Parts: sequence; structure tokens; C-alpha cells
Amino acid sequence: MSDTSESRYLGDDSFYKNPSPNAGLTNYPPHDQWHNWTELDAKAWPQRVERHYRLIPTTCFNCEAACGLVAYVDRDTGEVTKFEGNPEHPASRGRNCAKGPATLNQVNDSERILFPLKRIGERGGGDWEQITWDQALDEIGARIRTALLEDRRDEIMYHVGRPGEDGYTERVLQGWGIDGHNSHTNICSSNARIGYQSWMGHDRPSSDYANAEVIFLISSHLEAGHYFNPHAQRIIEAQEKGATVICVDPRLSNTGSKADHWLPAWPGTEPFLLLALVRLLLENGTWERDFVRRWTNWETYLAKTRPDLEVKFELLERALLDEYEQYTPERAEYVTGVPAEQLREIASVIGAHPTKFASHNWRAAGAGNLGGWQTARCLFFLNVLTGSVGTIGGTSGNGWNKFKPNAPLGAQKIEHWNEMSWPREYPLSYHEMSILLPHFLNERRGKLDTYFTRVYNPVWTNPDGFSWIEALLDPSKVECHVALTPTWSETALFADYVLPMGVGSERHDLASFETHAGRWIGFRQPVMRRFAELEGKSIDNDSRTHEFNPGEVWEENEFWMDLSWRIDPDGTLGVREHFESRSNPGKPMSVDEYYGRIFAEEVPGLAEAAAAANQTALEFMRDRGAFAVPTDSYLPYERVVDPASVEDCVRDNDGVFRKPGTAGLFDGSEEAFAETSLSPLGDGSPAVEIDGEIKEGFPTPSKKLELYSTTLADWGWPEYATPTWIPSHVHWEDLDLDGDERILLPTFRIPTLIHTRSANSKWLNEISHRHPLWIHPEDAEKLNIGENQLVRITTRLGHFVIQAWRTEGIRPGVVAASHHMGRWRTGQDQGRSWSNGRADIQNDGTTWELSRRGGMDAYPSDDPDSERIWWSDTGVHQNLTFAVQPDPVSGMQCWHQRVRVTPAEDGDSYGDVLVDTAKSREAYLEWLSKTRPAPGPHGLRRPLWYARPLKPTAEAYRLS
Amino acid sequence: MDICPTSALFRAPNGVVDFDDNSCIGCKGCMNACPYDAIYINPETNTANKCNFCNHRVEVGLEPSCVVVCPTHSIKVVDFDDADNEALGILRREHLAVRSPEQGTAPKVYYRGADEASLDPLRTAIRGDGLIWADVTPDHPTPPTDEADLIARTTYTTAHITTWKAKVSGYLVTKAIAAGIMFFASLMVLLGHADQTAKVGFVPGLLGALFLLVTGILLVADLKKPTRFHLVLTRGNTSSWLVRGAYILGIYAVSLGGWLLAALIESSQILSVLAVPVAVLAACTAGYTAFLFGQCEGRDLWQSRILLPMLLVQAVAAGGSVWLISDVLVGMPEPTVVRWITIGALTASGILVLLEVFGDHSPHVAMAVRSMTRGDQRKLFLTGVLGGLILPIILLAGSLLFDSAATTLSFVAGASALVGMWSYEHSYVLAGQSVPLS
Repeated sequence: MSDTSESRYLGDDSFYKNPSPNAGLTNYPPHDQWHNWTELDAKAWPQRVERHYRLIPTTCFNCEAACGLVAYVDRDTGEVTKFEGNPEHPASRGRNCAKGPATLNQVNDSERILFPLKRIGERGGGDWEQITWDQALDEIGARIRTALLEDRRDEIMYHVGRPGEDGYTERVLQGWGIDGHNSHTNICSSNARIGYQSWMGHDRPSSDYANAEVIFLISSHLEAGHYFNPHAQRIIEAQEKGATVICVDPRLSNTGSKADHWLPAWPGTEPFLLLALVRLLLENGTWERDFVRRWTNWETYLAKTRPDLEVKFELLERALLDEYEQYTPERAEYVTGVPAEQLREIASVIGAHPTKFASHNWRAAGAGNLGGWQTARCLFFLNVLTGSVGTIGGTSGNGWNKFKPNAPLGAQKIEHWNEMSWPREYPLSYHEMSILLPHFLNERRGKLDTYFTRVYNPVWTNPDGFSWIEALLDPSKVECHVALTPTWSETALFADYVLPMGVGSERHDLASFETHAGRWIGFRQPVMRRFAELEGKSIDNDSRTHEFNPGEVWEENEFWMDLSWRIDPDGTLGVREHFESRSNPGKPMSVDEYYGRIFAEEVPGLAEAAAAANQTALEFMRDRGAFAVPTDSYLPYERVVDPASVEDCVRDNDGVFRKPGTAGLFDGSEEAFAETSLSPLGDGSPAVEIDGEIKEGFPTPSKKLELYSTTLADWGWPEYATPTWIPSHVHWEDLDLDGDERILLPTFRIPTLIHTRSANSKWLNEISHRHPLWIHPEDAEKLNIGENQLVRITTRLGHFVIQAWRTEGIRPGVVAASHHMGRWRTGQDQGRSWSNGRADIQNDGTTWELSRRGGMDAYPSDDPDSERIWWSDTGVHQNLTFAVQPDPVSGMQCWHQRVRVTPAEDGDSYGDVLVDTAKSREAYLEWLSKTRPAPGPHGLRRPLWYARPLKPTAEAYRLS
Repeated sequence: MDICPTSALFRAPNGVVDFDDNSCIGCKGCMNACPYDAIYINPETNTANKCNFCNHRVEVGLEPSCVVVCPTHSIKVVDFDDADNEALGILRREHLAVRSPEQGTAPKVYYRGADEASLDPLRTAIRGDGLIWADVTPDHPTPPTDEADLIARTTYTTAHITTWKAKVSGYLVTKAIAAGIMFFASLMVLLGHADQTAKVGFVPGLLGALFLLVTGILLVADLKKPTRFHLVLTRGNTSSWLVRGAYILGIYAVSLGGWLLAALIESSQILSVLAVPVAVLAACTAGYTAFLFGQCEGRDLWQSRILLPMLLVQAVAAGGSVWLISDVLVGMPEPTVVRWITIGALTASGILVLLEVFGDHSPHVAMAVRSMTRGDQRKLFLTGVLGGLILPIILLAGSLLFDSAATTLSFVAGASALVGMWSYEHSYVLAGQSVPLS
């Protein structure tokens, strides 16, 4: 601070170039002043106290959107004062939701973990000793080295929550040569992925909302959907220009209330609703025939589904109308509860805006229901019929709008198949069957030598958390559990090592997401490290981010580098070479070298842009935080392919150019197993002939949009090869609605929180700390549930007790509570995190009980705000009472619950949870029996063209 | 800004109402004056803060933080001096709503596409099952859920702490006593008792000074920044009735000093000269709070024209009560006259209460009155009416009838009137602040 002036409003025009408010305000400091920016101190105002900042960009680590942030580092105090948006970021464009600026809370949280901890006493006992990082790295490195030497590769598992980074750690595991990646995908997005992938090969939608004329959301995108902030910006932009917004949600979300049509369909009937719209488009003749003719595999559809018809395009309409005969608006009204007239109106709106239909489903109905993957499949059917695929205002595939550069370090081939993550029962799962891990351990399918949970909290987040606790408490199942986490979590309580990792402004990562029609790459960086560098401290190959972070908080990149080095100190395991610096041989590659090489060599246009700015590519990214990768976003599948480049290919009868040595020509022969190399996406066929032109096409086996999925048919699900409605496990007609049975929606997010990652933010938890059960007043009357009354929700495994919140904003027959709250801690002073209530856990055989010991209280800490905590509610942990319910095709946890809703009983208290894990096993076995296991064609474990983290060799796909 | 005694709250040259932590004394007057409940006490500084449009950013050419961060650009800056300003264009094309236009603040925060329910806090209530994402505390004011005019429910709101509580109610009573006792003292001088310098001069003068001192202590103690009390004098904003009140109390204190001095030197002449001025100053002391409360634009109950006469008759009743209590102890002149006057003052108070309760009200005042008579302040209000008015009137009537018990009955009546008065004042102070403004 300097230049304290007593006067207020001097009107001193010389102070800034543009001081007059009437001359127009700007939203961000001009980029050329980021290294030396002066603002006035907000607290001292109206005295003019100058604060001198360096503005250092980074990337938010809270939700998956990876929005840009700018850290304001005070040059006088050397502290981050605030986080604002990064105007240079192509997706978030300088704007943020509440969670971005709240990064400051996470940095300064008085209860964050600052030093490596090792368990003393029993696992889960809550006693820890502080150790050195050296000890942690040595001990863990030695374990992994031994496991590799003994070829127990499958016993090393890295289990990641939302990665928030692209590819770094996957390459580390490849460097170790293990198939040890496990993800959170099947509690999140498996169903959506398989729905999209079964059409276009890409497993995520990339919607061009900004230019759309009709926006169809099976999500609550204006407040909480996937990529909420970048998407909400563009949805509202389109709505301002006149777009019609349609939202399907049993709950009146913020999005529902902003939409032109809110359709509270019965949960699980969404595909029916969508197919009714499909039928109306066909009936109305408002579908893009030429697009469908050119770009769908209609020939296969007709040949496979209608052998009675000739394979002629003119007959497709008739075949489709026959297939979807039962999906009339009237029938849809009965099944979904949405009025037929409204469906007709919506169909006419959709039909009137060809090629400008943008849609999205990620979780919501997709994540809730058995067969929920058909939601995305049927939704995208509307994109296909309206020709809105990859168009201006349509929906594209993520692969076209996401940029993932190659790593500057090599990797080993992975030559084996980890059945703990990729069990044969789920050959089509997207991706690992992570929710079943405790059951696999219980069945002794294998054990884990070293299990990393990385910013992942399965005990709390996954269904059936008590089965996780049982597994984690058993050292014969999990020999060593290492939790990599910035803060305490319910899972970290059951770890052997708790290793503190940085939050959004304390780590390096790359991120790129398909937020809009465009490609970008975002760079997360430890801002204090960058600040030190800018202030003149030399950063060399031996520098480590933890030197600049609070306490001994590390960043994961350097952790993996140094750990890998200790796994293979002499290089004899073949690991070390994949981590070695090229400019300093004999040393691990530094983050500067790693990202410097990527930016300089692997990102199109970046080196040129940096040169124009007279910077190295790394400096350029450190100064801007994001880069718009030049691209032509629209109609990528229409790109013409040079005939010369497909000369070595075989053109099949459907016009697909199939390349020798790829999955496209895999025939199951021994040579094919030995010699086929697999593409990350698709079967490796480079092109398809359309109307005599050679085009890039889609990364599907047919290179077209697959109206008929041969893969689904060939792998045991022929009845689901075309877009279909699969009645959900919570289908309303199966419920005793006259009695006390209802559907529970336990999944929805709110804008201010993000799973368990936002717990350590005081601002966010002050705003939201309660999640009562939404119940329609009609239901409440029928079920004798008064305002705010305690309700017992009985699931298959047990029950929980929650407060009722009567609202017309939910469909009768459905009750709902946001999943965000219900965090707990077992110790008094550990992991209060502004949100976690003290809990007692009792265990007797397979019976587990969790009860609340009061709620959130004020307490003294370094932060005076902890004594100002005025709220006490911390919510109810619902997920503990949910059985694993993996969809037999996608592996998705089908989150919606069939529950009994009754007034609380004598002795019930708010927040009580009771579960019998014996019933968990029963449920697991019952859902397992719905599967149709591998092998598929050619004795494979999984279709070769399906995406998969750490794709192994073709040989590993062989199920012997 | 009128109410702010130190101009800590001020209108900046660019039109924004801004604040200065360094001169705020934490009197919370602004919190009652703001018809939008937009001002709060910052617990770090114990001073009043509000949205100041990020004036420290505007000063350097930056938009306010909320504008910058908003994902959907839903918050826009209107610049009335820039014909090309986008938001100004919207404002000119469309009819946009504002909140509480009837308060005459000419608000410049406009709402586009907002439902009436979200702008009128009197027509939406927190229901029994609480807020959707947060706890409800007693600091979350809300209309009663049986209110007839409700059209929506409040699903989320922030806490608004009641700012003026027992100390303010107590100040009203001690000030009424300090003023009222001197009304009777002056009256006694005019009735020819000036020569009783001890009982007409010293006793009431001392009591008046004592209660004035307590009044001052309560006022200072209620400040969130009590050590900055002197700023009221050194940086006083003369349009603030807090400042004017301080001057009045000061002058009154000087006049009481003169009165006491006159009593000590046993000068009946000086008392005679001072009687009328002291009575006038006592009336100012009793009544100025009506103008102070009148500056509390956020509290419509307190805007009532009944408040000034009410404060005056309450002062008389309080003074009479203390006079009669003193009578038991030291034997004061003319107790019967005082009884009659006190009965009159209490009766007048009762009539004013009836007028207050049964008068024509705006919805805001009606809600505040309901809070007093039937709502959360019901018990205090009833204690005030029964113990503070009806019981003392009956007891004083009894004292006029039964000579032998007159002093005892008067004593009890006086005590009851004072306790009841505090109870009524407290219900009035709290009820006035019970109406949600946002």
C-alpha cells in the first residue's frame, strides 16, 4: 500500500488514463497492464489507497467447466487478494459463477491440510502423524516398485474424481505400464456418453447454443448443468435473440422457470417424450431428408429392422413411422404426463427451425434411470432429423471442439486388462465400473496393493458408501490407501496417507472442453510460483511448486514425476525413461519443460501467437491462461479427404475406407490381434464416400450417424440397436402411488456448490447449507406430511430422515433433494470445512448407523468468520442408503430411487441414516444378473472402437 | 443520508450513495432509514456498509464486480449521461419496475422481467418449512403466513438483523422521565411553589439530570462504535435528527444545570425565570425523537403523525409517575394535581394508542401494527397497555378516592406506568423494524 490520501473523490483525472465513469466503464484491466496494475483498496475507500497487483491467470478447479480465473497478487503483501474472471478465456469470457471467486476461500481455509500425514493406529481411527514428503514418496514408491517387479500391475489403482485436467495422469499410468485408471464416470455420465457415442462416435455433445433457434435441455443448464457458466451465457444470449428454450425436468429448476416450455415428465419417460417428438416431425414432414440420407446408416437400419422392405431411402419414413407407431402424442401424454397439445406445439417449433436445434443431456434423466442412455440417444435423434449436427446453432461432437495436445513424454504399451475396473460383465461400459469396486474386492476378484483416491470421495459421493467403508477398513482388500486431496473428506478419513494437493491456483494442468463452437486450451498454474518468477526469483529444473504453495502443499504433476523417479531410480523397470527431462538428462522433466514443449510444439497456432507477442509459448500461456486454438468448427464431417491419403485403404460396400492394421479391418485372426493398433476414437477408418465425394465422416464403424447401432446389436442388445424407450427401474406405472411409494431424485446440483469439492469454502456454504426434501403438497397431504415435518425415506438398503419442503415446483409422485449437503466428519476439530456435521457411526455386523451429533457451530480459528457461523443445518447423507444400480449396458449408476415416503417414526432424528450392507450385496447381484457379459464378436472383451482410458493393445482385448 | 449523523453515508459526485468506515459511529440510523434494508453492519469494522456500486472500481474505470462476474450479463450499468449506454436504451424502450417507488427515493435499480412478488416483500412470506438452501433464524423477518395478500413464498433471502432494541426502548423511557419531571417542576414554579427550592428545584432537577445522563449512556452504548461518539459533534450533519437531538439534549442538560444551580443557591427568582424555557426544552427533548423516527424512512410505523403527541403525553405521564414515586419518599408538592394530570396523560396515551392501532394504514404499517397487537410483540404490547395505562389509571383513580392509601397507590401506579411504558415502547420499536423490506 502507498499514497494514502485523506480526501475522498478528488476527481483527479491524472490518476488513470480513463477515470471518468461517464466515459464508459470497462470490465477488465487491459492485458498489457496485468503485470503492474493499480486499483484502489476497497476497504480503505473512500480514501484512495492504491494496491499494486500482478494479475496472474489460472483455471478454476471446482466444476468441470474449467473457467478462467485471474489471481490478483498484491505486490506489496505477496498475497492473493481476490480471484476474478479471465477475459482472455474463450469459454468463460471473464465471467464466473460463485464457485470461481470462492477459490480464495479454498486457498485460505483454516482447516486445509498443509502437511503429509500418515495414519497411526487403526485405519479410520482418526489419528495421524505428520511425515515428510520424502518419507511418503519413498514408502509409496517402494510399494509400487515391488508390485511392478512382482507383476502385480492390477493392484495399483489411481481412482480419480473429476480430473479437471487432460491426460497428464493417464500418461503417468502409461509410463508405469499399468491399466490402473479408475474414474468417477459411472456415477456421472456413462449413460449420456453411450447415448451420444452410439450415434456419432463422440461421447459428449458440443452444443452451439449461441446461434441456436431452439434449445432443448434435459438438464438444468442455467444453474448447474455441465459447463454451467459457459453454457448459461450462450443459452441466454440465444434466448435474447429469440430462441425457444425447452427444459425437461420433473423439478422446476431455475432453468425450468426461465424456459419457454417446462416439461415435468415422469422420470424415466423422457425417451418416450422425445420419440413422440420424432414421430411428430416425421408425420409433419419437417425433417431434413437429404441430411438423413447422406449422413445416417439408414441402409443398415432398413436391412436389419425391415427385411420385408427394399433398401430404398423413400421407404425409410414408412419404416420409422412403423417403428414409432405407438409414440403418439396422446400415448405420450399418458406415459410422460406432458400434454399432447404441448408436444404438438413443441414439434412444430422444432420443425420450423431446421439445422438450428441445440440440445443437451449429461446427467439428469440420463444419470437417473435404467436405460437412461436412451435419453441422449433419443434426444440426439431430434438433432439428426432436423439436420442440426455440427451446424451453426446445432450440436456437434466433443472431439471436434476439444483440443488435447500430445504429451512430450512417451509411454509404455499396456498389454494387460484390469478386470477390477473393466469386468467382463460390462463389455460396453463407459467407463470403469468404479461403483462396483467394493463388491469386487468383497468377492475377492482381486485386491489392491496401492490405491490412490485423487480428489475423489467415494465414501460420500458414490452409492452404498458403507460398503466402501467396509472395503477400506479391510487391509486384506486395500493394503494401502493414499488420499490425494486438498481437504479432509469422508474418504480421506479411511486413508493410510493423506497427501495435500493444491487447489485451483496451486497446480499445473491443462484443460479443454467442448463448451461452444470453437476449440480452446486452458492452462492452470500455481500463481504464487509464477508471481515469484515475475518478481525475479529464478525457477529452474529443480524448483518445485510446493516451495511457493502454503505449507507443504504439492502439485500432482510434480508428485507423479518424483514418485515415478523413486519407483524406478535406476531405470531398470523401464519407467524412468518416460519421465526424464530431454534438456537435463538424468533428471525428471520439470513442469516448465513439460508444458513449454507442449505449447511450443503441440498446439496449432500457439507458437506463432507467442512469437507475435515476442514471448515464448510458455510465457505466453502463463500470461494469458488460455488460447483459442484455430479451428473451423462447423460441419467437420463434411470435410473433404484427399483421395491420395486413403490409397492404402480398402473401400467397403458401404463406402467406408478401412485402413489395414486398424480396428476397422479387425477380423479376429491371430495376426489381427498381434498387429492391430487402436485409435483413441473410432475404428481408425479415415473416410467415407458420400454421393461420390470422400468425406471425413464420423468416428463410428459406419463413419456415419448410426440410426442402427451394429455394435449394440452385435454385443448382445439387438433390441436396443435403434433409439428406443426402456422403462426405467423407477417407472411410475410399477409404483404403488396410491400407497407411500414414490420416486426419489437425489441427484440435482445447485449453482453454488460442487459435490464435495466446494466444502471448504465459507462463502459458498454460508449461501447454501440445507437441502430439504421437495414434495408436492398433494403428495404431502396424502402421506400425512406437514410443513417442515421429518420424513423417513426408506430405500432398498435402509432409510434416512430428512425435512419436508412442500412445493408445487415438483411433479406429484416425485420427491427430490439436492445431493450436495449431508457432509459429515467423525472428529471434533478435523474437517469441519464450513459444511460437515459431526457424526457418530455405529456398526453391528452388516448394519451401519450414522447419526448426527448436532450441526454446524461457530468455532474459533485463524479466520474470524468461523466464529460468525450462524447456520446449523448440514443436511442428510442420502447416498449411503442407495444400492449400486449399474445400467447393464452403460454401467451407469441409475441414481433415481424407488422409495417409501412416510412420516418419521418415534426415535427418528434429523439426519439419521441406517443401512444393511447385506442388502447391498443382494442388490449388487441382482443388477449384475441383468448384464450380458463378454465375449463379444471375435472373443473380445470390448468393442475395439469404443473409447477407453489407457486403451491397451488389441491382444489385451482378447478374453481367453 | 439525512439521518447519518456524521455524513459517513454520503452521495458521491457520480450519484452513488457511498459510505466511509472512518467516520461511521455505528448508530444504525441509516439501517432504519433505508427502505430497502440494503445497509448492514460489517462485523470486521462495526460500521455500516452497503453496496456502493464498487465506487472504488468505478473510480478507475472498472465496472462493479457483480456486473463483471455475472455469467449471463444480467446486471447492467445504466449511465444516464451516456446516450449510447445499452442499459439506458432498454430503460427508455421498456417499462421497468423499481422497488418501493412509494418511498420517493427515485430508485435507480431497475428490474426487467421481474415478477411483482419478487419486488414486494410484503406479498411473499417464508413458509413454515423454511428456505430452500439455508437456515431460517429470528433475523429473517417475514410476513405472517396467514397474511391475506400473500401471492408467493420466499424461498431464499438473507438475514436482516434488528438494529434498535432494548437500549433504544429504554432511552425513550429515560428521556421521557428526564423531560417529564421538569414539566412538573416548571408547573410547580408557575403554580407558586418556586420557594420550595429543594422539592421543586433540587429533587426534580437532580432526577432529570440523572435520567438524562442514563439517556446519554444508553445512546452511546447502543453505538457499534461508541468511542467515536464525539464525531456527532465534530463532524455533525445538521440535517440529521440524531445530531439535532444531541444538541437538544446538550442544551437541555445545560438548562438543567442552571436549574440545579438555582436550586442550590435557593433562588426562587431564577427558577421562575427558567421555568418556561426549561419546560420548552423538556418538550423538545421529549418530542425530537418523533422527527428522528420520522427520518427512518424504512419504518413506516414510525412515520405516524401520532408519534409527536404520543411522546409528549408519555413524557408527562412518565414525569408524573416519577413525581408520585418521589412523593412517597420525600413528599412532593401538589400530588393530587399531579395525579389528575397523570391520569389525563395516561388517558391521552390510551387514546393515541387506539388511534394508532385502529387508524387507516398502509400495508406496511398494518403489518407492523399486527406485529404489535397480535404478532411477536403481542405480550410486550399487552403489558404496555394493561400495566402501563389501564392499571395505573385505575390505581390513580383509587388514590383520588381513598385518601389513606393515596401515596401507596400512586407509588404502585407510577412504577407500573413506567414499566408498562418501557414494554409498550419496546413493542413499538421492535414492531417498527419487523416488516421485511427486501
